[in-house]
Amino acid sequence: MTYLNTIIIDGLSFALPLFIMAIGGIYCERSGVTNLAIEGLQGMGAFVGALAATLVSGMFAADSQAPMFIAMIFSFLGGGLYAVLHAVLCVKFKANQVISGVVINILATALTTFLTSEISTALFGAASNRFRLTTSVRMTVPGLSEIPVLGAVFTNIYPFELVIILVALVAWYVLYKTPFGMHLRACGDNPHAVDAAGVEVSRVRFIAVMISGALSGLGGICFAYSISVQFSSAIYMGYGYLAIAGLIFGNWQIMPTLAACLIFGFARSGGFALTQVMELPSAFTDVFMTLPYIVTLFLLIFFSKSNRAPRALGEIYDKGKR
Amino acid sequence: MRRANPITRGVLFLMGNERRQRITIPVFAILLSLIASSIVLLILGKNPIEAFISLLRGSGILPKEAYAAKKSMLTDFLSLLNAWTPMLFASLSVAVAMRAGLFNIGVSGQMLCAGFIATITVGYTETLPAVVAKPLVVLIGLVSGAVVAAVIGFLKQRWNINEVVSAIMLNYIIRYIVSFFVKATINNPSTRQSWPVSATARLSLMDTELGGLKMDIPLGIILAAVAVVVVHFLFTKMKLGFELRAIGGNPVAAKYAGINVGRNTILVMAISGALAGLAGVTYYLGYFGSIQPDVLISTGFDAIAVCILGNSNPIGIVFSSLLISVIDKGSTYLQSSIGVRQEIGALITGLILLFSACGAYIAYLVNRGRQREEDAKKLSAGTDGKEAQA
Repeated sequence: MTYLNTIIIDGLSFALPLFIMAIGGIYCERSGVTNLAIEGLQGMGAFVGALAATLVSGMFAADSQAPMFIAMIFSFLGGGLYAVLHAVLCVKFKANQVISGVVINILATALTTFLTSEISTALFGAASNRFRLTTSVRMTVPGLSEIPVLGAVFTNIYPFELVIILVALVAWYVLYKTPFGMHLRACGDNPHAVDAAGVEVSRVRFIAVMISGALSGLGGICFAYSISVQFSSAIYMGYGYLAIAGLIFGNWQIMPTLAACLIFGFARSGGFALTQVMELPSAFTDVFMTLPYIVTLFLLIFFSKSNRAPRALGEIYDKGKR
Repeated sequence: MRRANPITRGVLFLMGNERRQRITIPVFAILLSLIASSIVLLILGKNPIEAFISLLRGSGILPKEAYAAKKSMLTDFLSLLNAWTPMLFASLSVAVAMRAGLFNIGVSGQMLCAGFIATITVGYTETLPAVVAKPLVVLIGLVSGAVVAAVIGFLKQRWNINEVVSAIMLNYIIRYIVSFFVKATINNPSTRQSWPVSATARLSLMDTELGGLKMDIPLGIILAAVAVVVVHFLFTKMKLGFELRAIGGNPVAAKYAGINVGRNTILVMAISGALAGLAGVTYYLGYFGSIQPDVLISTGFDAIAVCILGNSNPIGIVFSSLLISVIDKGSTYLQSSIGVRQEIGALITGLILLFSACGAYIAYLVNRGRQREEDAKKLSAGTDGKEAQA
């Protein structure tokens, strides 16, 4: 029973940041821009957020939660601003989008590692390769958490999980129910039609890439709070690539992607729990960690007909082309 | 139409025609990134010229002021070659796939797979003589890298699965599985890495005393030089190379011309993977000597950008990968000599890669500028002629 609770609690706290990063990826890819940069975007977002939290932490009481929310706002902005680089390269400079994504990741790792040690030396006088964060509170909903099994969903929730659900709802509404969302989705399938309708394709794509960066940044800082309670280069664990697997699994749609991220999250926490129950060496968690990738690969094989990427994905928009 | 100002005209003249741009544009990208890194260094209050010189000194291209016992410029240069070998192989691997219009983003995974299989099969041997063990390591690396990459090619050919996606999935599957086996079987608890491979199987002769110096002799660099020639020959002289370039240019046209696109897709990925496998064995059983679990090294990702910087051309890649290795290797000395954190090396690399990704846009700007210039010349020549007539 306790194991089941742990699986649900840890699974959710892993799946939701992954989900918000995947939504960012969906925004970017549905607009027709390949996004391999999620890894770098989330790292840069987390860096900016953690830096903001470190700078303001002196103004608040030691157990105050305010720095965390400030960090989330700043990681949102930081990720969005860093994504401008990807947008400029892909949309304005018409660079190859896969290469741009790879370069954005390499640069993010180098830049954040360098800046973290430089800034921590300047701030604290001692070189350190990490920013320490405050421990996040965990909330339990009284009453609802008493329900058997499902109660775990309402137990030990990180505040960021609620923020993510809120942001995800807004993102879902914007993508599927607003004119902007329709233009964005059309840009990924038939950019010429969007252009003919009088909407500027490059502008829509630029905004989509920035939204993608902002959401990835938010996901990054949540991982920094939930997994390690610090920012260091360990943030580049490959969760950005897992988010890409999630959105492909989810067929570039938000609700199926949520399901994919939940499966990934529960597979991970389930794997950890299983190694504990069966008293296996901790190395076995590595074996369970391969599951999301293997499942995605097989899904691509079996559903290669119905799993469909946006039609204009990765293509540089050229007005003159027919 | 007015002609551009003299500075722009000078730049346009220097960049030259499209043939010359293959060299001038990467050089321009490197210059831009050196300017950008100089600004970073100036902000830190360091002299950029001094910093670049110590990068060259640290990598054994320029002599240092003083050396430790049994070390010299030659030993520094040999360890640069040692670090350069895997990077050269990895970049060649990316280039082969890139010429055929495929992205091999799975080089890091293929390297790890090849390195791991070679390590557990031959890596710890004490009985085999070195002349048998070393070629065996190379062969195993070559085959296992080729098999992994061929799977990616097969998935693309059979089910039309994007090679970037399947390569990323395979990267992480390999990373976790290898981590599991390394931790469970060959883990050295004190270093948290696998036990170092035996000297007989290692492709670099480490700490060899020769002429009063202690040097690391990388045997793989000879193999890498051969690979450069072979890849160059493949693209310029062989039918297969021509077919691959045709597919890269336009797969539909290649199919109409009677080229078997599916078979060639698998074949090119296998060749690319074989080179990645060689990168893997020269890294894990050469330069580094052991496997670190939970880590997918960045070489395979850097190689994509290094390949772009070198125009996917084997000769260009020799220079671009050497440059990146010099920065990587020299950054340690940079820290000890002028006190800039060695992370700046990765930052300079990142900036070079960023500007090289803009190469196509720079080329577009230059060619547009040249076109305008020519039009303006023609126009002014035309009006001059009319005035003369009048």
